[in-house]
Amino acid sequence: MRPTEVFAPAEPPADGQSARKNQLAVTLRVNGESVALQIDPRTTLLDCLRETMRLTGTKKGCDHGQCGACTVHVNGRRVNSCLTFAVMHQGDDITTIEGLGRPGSLHPVQAAFLEHDAYQCGYCTPGQIMSAAALLEEPCGATDADVKEAMSGNICRCGAYPNIVSAIQDVRSER
Amino acid sequence: MTVSPAGSSVPRIEGPLKVSGIATYTSDFNFPGLLYAVPVCATIGSGTIAGLDTSVAGSMPGVQAVYHRANIGRIYRSAPDEGLGTHLDERRPPFEDDVIRYYGQYVAAAVADTYEQAIAAANAVKVTYDAKEPDVRDQLEPEGQPNLDGERGDPDAAFDSAPVKIDQTYSTPVETHNPIELHASVAVWDGQDFTLYETTQGVVNHRDVAAEMLGVPKERVRVISRFLGSGFGGKLFPWPHSFIAAAAARDLNRPVKLVVSRDMMFQNVGHRPRTQQRIRLGAGSDGKLVALMHDSLNHTSILDDYQENCSEATPYSYSTPNFRATSGLARRNVGTPTSMRGPGAVPGLYALESAMDELAIALGIDPVELRLRNEPNKDEGLDLPFSSRHLVECLAVGAKRFGWSGRDPRVGSMRKNGLILGWGVAGCSWIAERFAAQVAVDLRDDGSARVATATQDIGTGTYTVLANVVSEKTGIPANKIEVVLGDTNLPPGPISGGSMVTASVIPAVSQAIESAQQRILMAAIETEGTPFYGLEADALAFSGGIVHRKNEGPERGMAFEKILAKAKARSTSGLGKAEATFGSEDRKFSQHSFGAQFAEVTWQPEIARLRVSRVVTVIDAGRIINPKPARNQIEGSVVMGVGMALLEATEYDARFGAPINNNLADYMVATNADAPQIEVTFLDYPDRVLNDMGARGVGEIGLAGIAAAITAAVYHATGVRVRNLPVRLEELLA
Amino acid sequence: MEMFAFSEAAGVEDAIRAGAESGTAQQGARVRFVAGGTTLLDLMKLDVERPLAVVDINGLPLDTVTKLTDGRLKIGALVRNSDLAYHPDVRSNYAVLSQALLSGASAQLRNMATTGGNLLQRTRCMYFRNRALPCNKREPGSGCSAIEGENRSLAILGTSAHCIATNPSDMNVALTALGAVIQIEGTAGKREVPIEAFFFEPGDTPERENVLDPGDLVTSVTLPPPPQNCSQVYLKLRDRASYEFALASAAIVASVDNGTFSYIRVALGGVASKPWRSLEAEEQLYDQPVDEASFRRAADAALAGARPQSRNGFKIELAKRCIVHALGVATAS
Ligand SMILES: Cc1cc2nc3c(=O)[nH]c(=O)nc-3n(C[C@H](O)[C@H](O)[C@H](O)COP(=O)(O)OP(=O)(O)OC[C@H]3O[C@@H](n4cnc5c(N)ncnc54)[C@H](O)[C@@H]3O)c2cc1C
Ligand code: SF4
Ligand code: FES
Ligand code: FES
Repeated sequence: MRPTEVFAPAEPPADGQSARKNQLAVTLRVNGESVALQIDPRTTLLDCLRETMRLTGTKKGCDHGQCGACTVHVNGRRVNSCLTFAVMHQGDDITTIEGLGRPGSLHPVQAAFLEHDAYQCGYCTPGQIMSAAALLEEPCGATDADVKEAMSGNICRCGAYPNIVSAIQDVRSER
Repeated sequence: MTVSPAGSSVPRIEGPLKVSGIATYTSDFNFPGLLYAVPVCATIGSGTIAGLDTSVAGSMPGVQAVYHRANIGRIYRSAPDEGLGTHLDERRPPFEDDVIRYYGQYVAAAVADTYEQAIAAANAVKVTYDAKEPDVRDQLEPEGQPNLDGERGDPDAAFDSAPVKIDQTYSTPVETHNPIELHASVAVWDGQDFTLYETTQGVVNHRDVAAEMLGVPKERVRVISRFLGSGFGGKLFPWPHSFIAAAAARDLNRPVKLVVSRDMMFQNVGHRPRTQQRIRLGAGSDGKLVALMHDSLNHTSILDDYQENCSEATPYSYSTPNFRATSGLARRNVGTPTSMRGPGAVPGLYALESAMDELAIALGIDPVELRLRNEPNKDEGLDLPFSSRHLVECLAVGAKRFGWSGRDPRVGSMRKNGLILGWGVAGCSWIAERFAAQVAVDLRDDGSARVATATQDIGTGTYTVLANVVSEKTGIPANKIEVVLGDTNLPPGPISGGSMVTASVIPAVSQAIESAQQRILMAAIETEGTPFYGLEADALAFSGGIVHRKNEGPERGMAFEKILAKAKARSTSGLGKAEATFGSEDRKFSQHSFGAQFAEVTWQPEIARLRVSRVVTVIDAGRIINPKPARNQIEGSVVMGVGMALLEATEYDARFGAPINNNLADYMVATNADAPQIEVTFLDYPDRVLNDMGARGVGEIGLAGIAAAITAAVYHATGVRVRNLPVRLEELLA
Repeated sequence: MEMFAFSEAAGVEDAIRAGAESGTAQQGARVRFVAGGTTLLDLMKLDVERPLAVVDINGLPLDTVTKLTDGRLKIGALVRNSDLAYHPDVRSNYAVLSQALLSGASAQLRNMATTGGNLLQRTRCMYFRNRALPCNKREPGSGCSAIEGENRSLAILGTSAHCIATNPSDMNVALTALGAVIQIEGTAGKREVPIEAFFFEPGDTPERENVLDPGDLVTSVTLPPPPQNCSQVYLKLRDRASYEFALASAAIVASVDNGTFSYIRVALGGVASKPWRSLEAEEQLYDQPVDEASFRRAADAALAGARPQSRNGFKIELAKRCIVHALGVATAS
């Protein structure tokens, strides 16, 4: 276990330039690579991925766990990266859409989304795909209704739901 | 009735980028030295700023500046322009004065090295107010005399003497667009020029407005929007945050990123205004309308006049000799409203089509039949023929596919698996016009093409449609066509609004291709070593990417890339321009798309559970260029329509003026589990009045009938007529 | 969000010691434990929670579900909601808990949320969540904005003139129907509190929601063995088909002998200031025939004390239908 680190709460800085103060050292394993970071404890995993690590495939839609756009895998399970601090993930295995598959070597869920036109604007899509990829390993029933319920933590304002369900069912039927 | 593909239903060309997280949306841009800006929002709905203290915020770690009225520098107003040229809905520049006119109005902005620091600083700005009681009342009354939007015959007299009358008021709440992508600006200033990465449905307009407001020539502003996480109208026109980011970037000489938070999305970037619409229908016992009156009101903000145009579709929907439409505004302490998917027609047709359903019930006539009896043979509002109108067929095809003939009209009479079923129908329509557009097409020596225009793909499939159109017209396979959009450096293209992009760009694409091809023919006759050297250009033809003699088939011709190679040219570039029809005075046709929507709801009174189970939509939108994204657009509209009918309403707290449910847990949009079974059929009647491919647009029409169809179905299931959206289960509990 | 000191608790005592630094374990706590973070981060971003220290308790060994020798089930405070919902023992013996958990939030949130965190999640009252507006729970004495405001989703049972907030948890409703007991370790040692005594009604101190004192760590929740041959149902009613808190919900644990109720527990969610056990409903059902008339009497009794607000009066009828239907499902053979 990591030794307890205690940092002083923010006090009025002397020089107004103490941007580096209050930063914690953390090593994240993202998409199989370990990255050592100095990070503000307030930084969410989502903002860390997007703004610090420049992995912008993971999206922010609400910052409050209400849309699912920020879904990533932590130790193989889907979570909302906006509601967890990056510093809490020392040693965790984090997978983002960038680690799932790239053009040319798409994950089956990505390929199915492409095939089924399971998006419009594409903004919710990384979150949908990360959710769907995790769903494949979850105890989810076989029907469309089961998939719809299991995917309801990912809002698609474009309303591409019918195609999202058919894409996922297509992948499941091949397994 | 079959779908006619221009090319087949191929995956979107930008799809691989979207499914792998590579597509770059505005807030994905990052630059060395980037700073983060976070606005401070007013916490009163009306009043003035009494004091603003940035001393604590300004000295917090990492803070570079805290801007407010006194130090933001000059942000000009953009002078009014005609129509949609150089347009923004909220005209007041940020921080212009100390008056607060709506809850959440920006009063300051903190800029810091990191996002966390900027938020903490924004929270530490101390603002005090002299508060007044805000006016956010739902009940609307017109300010001054309503506008007369259209009139024919003597509607009052005809209504008074009509044997059957409907006189009802329908209202729709404030709806918030809520695209999942937050509005954002990333502003880069290099000491001379701005490059603004914006969440915009109109890069050119944004550029024009920004140049005026920042006080620099247009050439000094470049606006980029490569991918847009949808907008639904909310991103058509610039909003104040964009100018805060740009002004800060200029002042600090550093790139600045400002992402509008979800709660601000309910305050600062527009909404569909509340509408209140009185519909009067007078009919004979045969169901023929003798009078139709549509008096609508919508709220607007204190400083801006936003007109929803609820009666936009009313004059041409049905045949009636006596007609009047009026509209008025009621001013409230709310942010400025803006266009939201199907502005005017969507709330307007909810009211009109609901009244038609009530009329059908009053007459004892089937609601489909009632619409057939009132089908006009011309646009009686404009007194012009329709370019193409197949509403009757939409209704007939929809009724068949839905199984409408099995409907028992008695309330609560139909059941399936222990659930009460309700069935409802409504018609829908949407304008079919074109904006001005310029498009460049390059034909290149590797056999590929590049098509470029400063319009944008907001999720509707513009990248793919352009590839499809160029492919069909040149014979070059779609996967060899590069489409470049969303950059004001490209030839000026239209805003992505009004479902008009596809129709608008087609004529310009055709012209651009012709001119690029013409130059290849010129190269062919002027280049030694081509089989056409020395011939006249008009002896040659260009088919499927092959140049050949007109009197011979392409088998004996030469591929265009070979000609380019022989001419040692990398490419030929053609520019096409097409004029707008939108707003044109000189028209010979009434141009609209039409459709019919049939909805089934299930109702379980024992647990007050209402769900939309099935929707059948039939659309007459001319020729469909790429059926996959087109179908997706209609399905998405239906899903949004479920939200509109049953879930969505922005609630303002009467005392504080705050949109109190300003988040995606309390303002509910449909989830995957709420999506009904959806069937979409496109009729195939190319409308060549609009463009040579006969294509209209499908982005909005699918939302125009759905709420009325659902509320009609709710009535059929429950006996409760909801005239004030959304349908809340408490209204059904009685 | 204000800067805070972040630390990881090395052990239970370590966490207790850190927590004890706070003046209160209720609203306004200056030290907060973070488990799943789905309530805490949400509220920290809204500046409703403003801890100076955040103590990560995820490394503590409280993440297992164990069957005790006396037949009770012990659920560690850090067991994730999804793991708990799918735990074989829970699925077969405490179905109402599994159903309640799975009806809550989303799959992602359930993967994060913990038993302890869910137990302690805060109200969704929109005024509580907007720090610019008056709220007695957030700023004692500032007034309750909800009473004359948007209160459609708020409580009708167990409210006060000072606060009408709803306890939003689904899990808590099931735990209440199951007679759960909360294990707490604090500076004064270990103690156990039955769930019904764990939560307070708002009274005139809505900022005080439960029995926890500074340093108190919820370590586990135990469930007594389920009654013989009981059936269990959780029914949740809401506007949206998914991903929404309850407008009204009912958890039923019932055993029927010879056509009458021999065991019955009724708990309500979405309508009350705390997870609401309805002794009134249970009283109406004991030894009564299993029929619609009994269900209705029970529902009427459960809601007899309801105090509707300007926009949530419909919840009385909704909750009644919820109880009647849930009882019907629980007793359908
Ligand atoms: C969008 C959204 C929708 C939701 N929908 C639902 C729903 O429908 N139904 C539902 O029931 N819930 C719902 N939730 C709430 C969710 O279930 C809770 O946020 C979650 O259960 C909290 O658990 P956590 O572990 O994440 O808590 P944390 O956020 O980690 O902790 C919550 C609080 O408990 C304290 N705490 C945590 N563990 C301990 C401990 N062991 N001892 C002492 N104190 C502790 C923390 O200090 C904090 O104050 C929803 C949440 C969101 C964001
Ligand atoms: S109901 Fe309670 S939480 Fe909501 S505003 Fe009133 S005091 Fe605050
Ligand atoms: S951004 Fe995390 S759920 Fe919306
Ligand atoms: S594709 Fe646009 S939000 Fe889902």
